[in-house]
Amino acid sequence: MASLNIEHLKYKYPGTDRLALNDISLSIETGEFIGIIGRNESGKSSLCQAIAGLIPNFYKGAYGGKVLIDDIEVKKVPVDELCETVGTVFQNPFNQVTGAKATVYEEIAFGLENMGVPKEEMIRRIDRAMELLDISKYRDRYPFDLSGGQMQRMAIAGVIAMHPQVIILDEPTSQLDPQGREEVFQAVQKLCGQGITIILVEHNMEKIAQYSNRVALLDAGTLIDFDTPQKIFSRVDLEQYGVEAPVYTQIGKRLNLTIEDTGCYPVTLEEAKTVLLRKGGNDPVWL
Amino acid sequence: MKTISLYVDKGTMLNKIAPESKIWYVIAAITIPALMGTRWAGIVLIAVSAALLLYGKVLKRTLPLLAVSGFVLLTVLIIQGMFWWGNETPLFALGPAVFYREGVNYALGILINIINILMSFCVLILTTKPSDMMENFVRRGFSPRFGYVFISVFQIIPQMTETMSTITDAQRSRGMETEGSLAVRIKAFIPLIAPVIMSSLINTKERALALEVRGFNSRKKKTFLNDEVKTAGDRYIQIALPVLIIAAAVWRVTQWLA
Repeated sequence: MASLNIEHLKYKYPGTDRLALNDISLSIETGEFIGIIGRNESGKSSLCQAIAGLIPNFYKGAYGGKVLIDDIEVKKVPVDELCETVGTVFQNPFNQVTGAKATVYEEIAFGLENMGVPKEEMIRRIDRAMELLDISKYRDRYPFDLSGGQMQRMAIAGVIAMHPQVIILDEPTSQLDPQGREEVFQAVQKLCGQGITIILVEHNMEKIAQYSNRVALLDAGTLIDFDTPQKIFSRVDLEQYGVEAPVYTQIGKRLNLTIEDTGCYPVTLEEAKTVLLRKGGNDPVWL
Repeated sequence: MKTISLYVDKGTMLNKIAPESKIWYVIAAITIPALMGTRWAGIVLIAVSAALLLYGKVLKRTLPLLAVSGFVLLTVLIIQGMFWWGNETPLFALGPAVFYREGVNYALGILINIINILMSFCVLILTTKPSDMMENFVRRGFSPRFGYVFISVFQIIPQMTETMSTITDAQRSRGMETEGSLAVRIKAFIPLIAPVIMSSLINTKERALALEVRGFNSRKKKTFLNDEVKTAGDRYIQIALPVLIIAAAVWRVTQWLA
């Protein structure tokens, strides 16, 4: 598995004056779950595309700095080779269906066929990916007949079957209904602890707080902060960056309930419960 | 399943035969009557195609396709029957319209050729899964990109049509009239086409990205999940049909020399 280092990354889209990514440096350890947050146009997707090598290999423009996965410099590797190291899941599940395959099973095999994976190995990987994403029952279904959530899980299965070391999920639930969203988050939860580095861009802060080891807060292409969810969501200036803290953090802020060790506000239900129990003992008023 | 493919899997031997064999059949069905220059060759091949379609359990599905071309065939019959340059002998009259033997005879020749071509293509397209055909071609060194374009059209066009109808509904719900006189329809066309083109461009770009990150442009040698579609008889079919074409050509030359 790979560690990811970004060093002074700068990028400007062709025909624009503003830097979409402005001197971003951060380091991610193998197997970490990283959340990326920020308002629209803050550079979240651009950062993901730079990690996946789509910037500057697919999107041209002014590029500076380095993205390193272990000792591989992303810029120097063609996307079709890098996809074995970095997998990407995009927002719109419909647009990730290749349109060239008749069943879900064949659709998941698409990337493996392109990479020249032998048939037996291909079958093994597809079966595992389908099992992990709980889509084995859709095996023979026509990909376009799936619901948004099922389609997105199929896309994730297609990516993880390629055995990448890093998976980027760029707002994977933004176009889904609540049920589809829940299906995808359950799939994401299963990916945690698999030893894969996961980078998730998401507007649902509760989910970011629930899964992330660390969170990167971006604004106008600049990395404002990169720290634990507790520290990020406890920032007093968070709203200034167009981000609303998870509801548990908001309650914590209102009631001035902080986690004893860190002095931060709780970000998940579990943390909120712990803080409340500490504060009120077993007093039912607090519970 | 929303697809514009006409393929139906009836589980017959025709579904299992290699697409290349069926392509050879189409070539043979078109070239043999042309080389022999006799009408009966076309009739025989129509009968063979009909028998194959019947065996493949898709003969019924051929009828709507023939009906679609029926209008063109009827037009050919009327125009040639009435106005062919060599018309001399009246055959029958419908009111003031007189049909001539020579013209009708000439039109029948055209009709046989068209029906023969249509039915032989039906053998190919109604019994061959497009993805199998392309996969077989890619195995033979055909460009996967071209193969992808060919295959994806079958699935993506129906999806685009669906997007168009969603946009039409959205515009209609905002009070835009989309039905009525030609002027109303033309007026409705512009606000419809702009979002359709824009969404198509965005979708195409996103799909291109999704393909890219799944190694579509990889220079590695591709492997295949599915086994190649072929039967033991394919080798013989792919030898016999070219031989028949050559035999037809030889026969024609000998006729010409005699």
